[in-house]
Amino acid sequence: MALKALDVYKLLPKKNCKECGDPTCLTFAMKLASGKADVDLCPYLDEEAKSVLGATTRPPIRLVKVGVGERSFAIGEEFVLYRHDKTFYHPPGILFKVSDTWAPEEITSVTVRVRDESFTRIGTDLQFNGIAIENTSGSPDVFARAVAVVEESADLPLVLMAKNTEAFNAALIQVGSYQPLIHAATNENFREMCVLAKKHSCPLVVKAHGLDDLTGLVKNCIAEGAKKLVMDLCPQSPGDFIITSTAVRQLAITRAVPDLGYPVFLDTTHPSLQDAEIALGIVKYASVIITPPLSPASAKAALTLRQNIYTDPQKPIQMNPGLYRVGTPGKDAPVLLTVNFSLTFFTLQGYLESTRIPCFMLIVDTEGLSVLTAVAAGKLNETLVRDSIRKFDVEHEVSHKTLIIPGYSAPLSGRIEDATGWKVMVGPRDAAEIGEYLHEEWKKHES
Amino acid sequence: MGYDLNFGWNGVIGQVILGATRAEGGTRNISYRIGGGTTLPFLEGTPSSPLPLVALEICDNPEYWSPIIRNYCGDLVYSVHEWAEAAEKVYDADLVRLYLTSTRQRNFTDISAVGKTVEAVLSSTGLPLIIEGSNEPKIDSEVFLKCGETAQGERLLLGTAEAGRYRSIAAAALAYNHSLIAQSPIDINLAKQLNILLREIGVPRDHIMIDPYTGALGYGFEYSYSAMERIRFSALKGDTDLAMPVICSAIDSLTIKEVREAEPVLQDEMALQWEFYTGIAAAVAGAEVICVRHPKTVGLLKKAFTCMRTSTFFSEVK
Repeated sequence: MALKALDVYKLLPKKNCKECGDPTCLTFAMKLASGKADVDLCPYLDEEAKSVLGATTRPPIRLVKVGVGERSFAIGEEFVLYRHDKTFYHPPGILFKVSDTWAPEEITSVTVRVRDESFTRIGTDLQFNGIAIENTSGSPDVFARAVAVVEESADLPLVLMAKNTEAFNAALIQVGSYQPLIHAATNENFREMCVLAKKHSCPLVVKAHGLDDLTGLVKNCIAEGAKKLVMDLCPQSPGDFIITSTAVRQLAITRAVPDLGYPVFLDTTHPSLQDAEIALGIVKYASVIITPPLSPASAKAALTLRQNIYTDPQKPIQMNPGLYRVGTPGKDAPVLLTVNFSLTFFTLQGYLESTRIPCFMLIVDTEGLSVLTAVAAGKLNETLVRDSIRKFDVEHEVSHKTLIIPGYSAPLSGRIEDATGWKVMVGPRDAAEIGEYLHEEWKKHES
Repeated sequence: MGYDLNFGWNGVIGQVILGATRAEGGTRNISYRIGGGTTLPFLEGTPSSPLPLVALEICDNPEYWSPIIRNYCGDLVYSVHEWAEAAEKVYDADLVRLYLTSTRQRNFTDISAVGKTVEAVLSSTGLPLIIEGSNEPKIDSEVFLKCGETAQGERLLLGTAEAGRYRSIAAAALAYNHSLIAQSPIDINLAKQLNILLREIGVPRDHIMIDPYTGALGYGFEYSYSAMERIRFSALKGDTDLAMPVICSAIDSLTIKEVREAEPVLQDEMALQWEFYTGIAAAVAGAEVICVRHPKTVGLLKKAFTCMRTSTFFSEVK
C-alpha cells in the first residue's frame, strides 16, 4: 500500500539539509510518495524508517546509471506495462559489442562510429549509447588492452563482459571510476562480482535463467551489498524473451516480487535473428541492448523504433506556428497551409524538399492535432487561418493571394476564402502526392 | 515461480476465415483461420492462435508503385500474373494482397478488365487473396461487385471500408460471402464505431478484420502501435465490437524520406529493415496479418515469427 506524502514526511528527519538534492524534506517526501526518489538519498534516516519507506516508496523498477559524463544514460524507473497507460520514461541504451580479439583499428573504428554517428529525426539527434567489450580471448591482459583502445578514442559508457574476475580486475583498474556496467554475476561467482561492483561502485548485471533463480541471485547480490543491478534473463529464444521480460515487468511494477524491480539486459546472440531481437528488446522492456555493430539500415530502423516507442503518448510533439521556408522561395512561390502536429510538418516538409519547388509552409496552431482531427474538433477553422496569415505577415512575403490547403480540410475552403479574401486551392489528402500536385495544378494555376 | 500472463482476461479474439480450398467450395490450396487469441500474441505457453501471416502486396499497374520494388523485381511487376505466382513460389508469402491500381487512372471505366485481373491472379497462385478496390467512390460499387463475383466462393478479404465509404464494399462482401477490412484513422473509438456501422448493415463479425491504420516507422507508428494494443485489450476484456483480428499495412514505408532518399546501394536494405522493424512491433502489439511490399521482408518476418513462439530455441535456428 502506497503511503501519502504527509505520512512519509513524518518519518523524515525534517532538517531540510538539501543533501538529498531536494530543497526541503517535504518536497522529498512528495517525490518518495510518488515513487520518483529513492530513500537512500537521505543520509539521516534510521534503519527502521528505511525499511518502512523502502518497500513502498522506491520506484518499482530502480533507476540505474551507466557511464559518466555527457553520454551516460539512465535506465529503469518505469511504471507501466503499456505505453498508453502513461509513458515509457528511459529508452534502452543500445551498445555495439566488440571483441578483445579484434585488431585495435577495428575496435577504434566501431568506437569512433558510436562516438560520432548521429541521425536527426523530428529535431532530435539519435545515437547509439556505448561500447560493450567482450573478453573472448580469456586473457586479462588482452582484455585490458582492448578496453584501453576504446578509452583512447571516446568517453562512452561501457559494458565489460568477461568470465573471470582477473579480467575484470585488469580492466577496472583503468575504467573502474567511469561506472561501466559489468557482466555478469552468476550463481557461481556472485560473491567476487559483488566485491568488484562495490569496490568500483559499478552497476552489475546478474544473470540467471528462470525467475526463481533470478530472484534468488538478486537477493544474494543485495545481501552482498551490490545495489545497482541489471538483470540478464538469458532468453532461450525471442519467444522466451517476450514471455520472461513481460513477466518480470509485470511482477516488478505491481511490486508482487520487489526483487525483480531492476532494469533488463539483453544481449542479441543469434546473428540471423539480431534485428528481431533488437525490435523485441525495444518494445518489450529491455533497458540495455547489446548488438554487433549494425548495418546502416538496421541502425536507422532500430533508433527510429526506439524513438517512436519512447515518445510520450500524452503529448503530441508540436512545432512552433509560423511561416517556414522550403528552399529559397520568391514572391511568387506557393504557400501551403498545414497544422503544427510535428509529424504532419516533417512528412510534408520531406516531400516538399524532394519536389525542388521553393515554397512557404504556413503552420497554424492546432495544438498539435493532425489535419483530420483538427478539422473534426473545429480547431482548424477560418478564423485561425485568417489570424495566422496576419500574424505571420504572409501578405508581405508573397505577391499573390492563393493558399493551398490540405485535402482533408476541403470542407473549409469556402469559409477560408470568405474570411481571408484569399483564393483557396485544395491540395491532396496524402502528402506523398504534393509533388505531382504542385507540378500540375500549381503550374496550371500560374499560367 | 508461477506467473500468469493472461492478466485475468476472459475475452477471445474472434476468428475470420481467409481463402477456401476445393473442399470448402473454392480453388485455394490452403485456407487460414485467423484470430482466436486469449491474451497478447506470443504470451501463451500453448498458443491458441496461429502465427501472424505475411502478405505480399502487388498491383496491376506499377506506375503507382514504389520504384524500389520496380527495380528489385524487374519486369515481373508488369505482369500481375507472374508477380502473383512469384509471391507464392519465389518469395514464400502466406497471402497475396492485390491492389487494383489500374482503377486509379483518370476516368477509368473498364470494369471487365478488373474481372480479368482477378481471374489471372486466382489462376496463378493457390494462396488466399486480399483485394484492394478503387480509390474513387464513384466506381467503388462496380469494382467491388466485379471482384466479389469473379472470386465467388474463394473467401476473399476485400479492402478497404472506411467510415464514410463502406456500403459498396459491404454489399459485395455480403453478396458473395467475402470478408472485408475496416479501416479507421488510428483511433480505437472510430474503429469500434465503424464495426458497429458494418454490423448494422448486416456484415457478420467473423467477416471483418480491423485495420487501425499503420503510420510508417518514424511517421506516427507509435500511435498505431498503441491503437493496436488498446484494441486488443478491449477485445480481451470482452468488447465484441473490437474482437476482430487486426491487419497491419504500413503502406508509406517505401515513400518516407529515410527510405526514398537512401543511397541506391542501401535502398533495398533500408526498405526491408523499415518494413521488418514495423512488422515485428506490430505483431507483438496484436496484428495478425502483416502486409509488406519488399519481397525480401517476407522470409525474414516469417522466420522471426516462428522463433517468437517459445517452443523454438536459438540452438535450432539456422
